[in-house]
Amino acid sequence: MESNGDKPIVVLVDDEEMVITSVRAYLALETDYRVEGFTDPEQAAGFIMQRPYDVIVSDYLMPNMTGIQLLRQAKEAAPEASRILLTGHADKQSAIDAINDVALFQYIEKPWDNTQLLLAIQGGIERARLLRDLRDRMAELASANDSLKDVHRRLIKAFL
Amino acid sequence: MADHERQETEQEEIEILRRQVAEEHKMASLGRLLAGIVHEINTPIGSIFSNNQVALRSLEMLKNDLEHLAGETGAHARALVATCHSLAEVDKIACERIGNVIRGLKSFARADSDELHRVDVWEQVSGTLKLVQAEHGRRVVFENLVPPDLPRIECYPGKLNQALLNIIVNAAQAIEETGNVTISASAGADSIEIRIRDTGKGIPESVRDKIFHSGYTSKPAGQGTGLGLTLSKRIIVDLHGGELDFESSRGEGTTFRIQLPLKQKRP
Repeated sequence: MESNGDKPIVVLVDDEEMVITSVRAYLALETDYRVEGFTDPEQAAGFIMQRPYDVIVSDYLMPNMTGIQLLRQAKEAAPEASRILLTGHADKQSAIDAINDVALFQYIEKPWDNTQLLLAIQGGIERARLLRDLRDRMAELASANDSLKDVHRRLIKAFL
Repeated sequence: MADHERQETEQEEIEILRRQVAEEHKMASLGRLLAGIVHEINTPIGSIFSNNQVALRSLEMLKNDLEHLAGETGAHARALVATCHSLAEVDKIACERIGNVIRGLKSFARADSDELHRVDVWEQVSGTLKLVQAEHGRRVVFENLVPPDLPRIECYPGKLNQALLNIIVNAAQAIEETGNVTISASAGADSIEIRIRDTGKGIPESVRDKIFHSGYTSKPAGQGTGLGLTLSKRIIVDLHGGELDFESSRGEGTTFRIQLPLKQKRP
């Protein structure tokens, strides 16, 4: 899955509407990111399975699905996108689970600091784009390698 | 010892044990309650923090846009923006205060208190003081003079906070009207010493031997269980391998001294 090349896309998931409204307003003021907000993690899961995005920021405790479960799906759908957990439920176990299970990019505790959150999102976008770029270059290299092999084969055939 | 005397002593011991268990349950419930409250407040306060920052930035932008608006309308709009800006500044200070209380409660009510952690003494004292201040802050001035650059100590944070809370509350209760409770600390080669000094009435010589005994209290019924210092001693000495003692002079106050090793022995 590819991002649409221009504006970075940030997916925000929190069952509390107020968090989405606040973070969206802050990002609108400071950045040109496109923000996709969801209060229902299942709807968010539907979005990330089908649409490109750069960073997903998710709450931990939500009805129907925990943030870890959602981020695990996010990792399967778009491994190069960055995953951030924004949680009011700060215990060591949830942090360890998140880091191990879903290759978490950042763990931020509520009440969050906007500057810290923005730095995490910026870093996440940069990382996601670099990884995607790397993946594309590797694909290009692999295909160049294939063509070279093909030329090599034909050369051998022509001369032997 | 006659049979009935032995029976009475046993009865007393059972009663003391029962009260110790009840006290520990109470502290554990308090920890859970605080953790729950902190969790509930984190989201709305995070939202308010963020909105306040956005409002302040937006008002600054609006102020610049309005600079060149002429006439009475311009002046009126600028005055309104200035009012909103000063209110948002007040909100920011208010938010910071709430944030400090939340951070204090959070470090007091650590959910993972049954595990060993390396903690900052200043932070633990500061969190505990937030709780005590709520009840005694109008009467007693609390000062946290613990140097912020002390080495971290390995401990069970929830338990250690419980001991600190008991000793600090006792210090505050020893002050009859107004006075000071000062907490200071210093580091030795492999331990840390925390001192809790109050300007209260002091501990009478006659009871100095008894204050760490279960069930002893000098407080009126309903105010003290007589277990606070016993539990504190158990937490500091038995659980952490530290020391707890005190010096007191009548009418001048008492200083409790807690000594804790920097590292815990592995079981």
